[in-house]
Amino acid sequence: MYPMQGGNDKLDSLLQAYREACPDREPSANFMPGLWRRIESRRNFTFSFQRMVRSFVTVAAAVTIAIGVYVSLPRATPASEVTYLEALAEANSLDTPENVGPVRLELNEAGR
Amino acid sequence: MLVDFELVRRAQHGDSAAFNEIVLAYRKRTMGTIGRLIARTEDVEDVAQEVFLRLYFSLDQLRAPEVFEPWLYRLTVNAAYDYLRKQRRRPEFRMSDLSEQQVMMADAVAGGKAEHDQQQKKKLRETVDSLLGAVSEADRVLLLMKEVEGLSLRELEKIYRVKENALKVRLFRARQRVLKAFETAERKNENG
Repeated sequence: MYPMQGGNDKLDSLLQAYREACPDREPSANFMPGLWRRIESRRNFTFSFQRMVRSFVTVAAAVTIAIGVYVSLPRATPASEVTYLEALAEANSLDTPENVGPVRLELNEAGR
Repeated sequence: MLVDFELVRRAQHGDSAAFNEIVLAYRKRTMGTIGRLIARTEDVEDVAQEVFLRLYFSLDQLRAPEVFEPWLYRLTVNAAYDYLRKQRRRPEFRMSDLSEQQVMMADAVAGGKAEHDQQQKKKLRETVDSLLGAVSEADRVLLLMKEVEGLSLRELEKIYRVKENALKVRLFRARQRVLKAFETAERKNENG
């Protein structure tokens, strides 16, 4: 394993040299203003998004309440207390003359 | 720690001045780490800003100021890793940039010692960069954090939140791959 060991040492030296070739860098004068600009931009975006979510939740709550009211209103009307069969019977009663009255023939001049 | 815990606590509670002080204390070191991880000097500042941007919006998730440094390293590693992944998706961009740099470097050679040193360093960076091409971006970052940044396995365990043994295995495999690429390159140089 000597050749490998030699390779290991060389690789270590190479990485050490790499460390020295890439020292810590001085940031530019624009670093802090640029960073705060990015923070503000992200913060504004987050704020707008939160506001949008809040609006959406408010609208959703209002719609839910409206639907609730709409659904509960018809139950309060008297019409809903009459069943379908009762309504049908009332509309087509057997006592009505249209159904059980005598047939009336209207003869005109031509039929005579 | 380059700053005291109280400053971190104040920044966690939304004190912008405290956050500013933290950035001023850590930005040089963070930029150095990023420079060694991504090997592209022109994008270092941008990635460093991204690190501090993430720090600003995640400080409230930090459980204790005592783990601030591993936390910052973790953000640095993640940002560098994200950058490297994006670069891999745009290889033609990177190659064209490199060749442009090489052309500029060739034009700038005036025979002075400073230029010569710069060129040597640049060549060294390119050599290491190409050797580390033998491993994935994740392994590249891990290997550099251990071998170049000099972090211990215990520190890496805190940053990666992975057991020390798993890290050892991963590092060993990554190193073997780089070593193999290194020896192949050396043989090629000897023969050529």
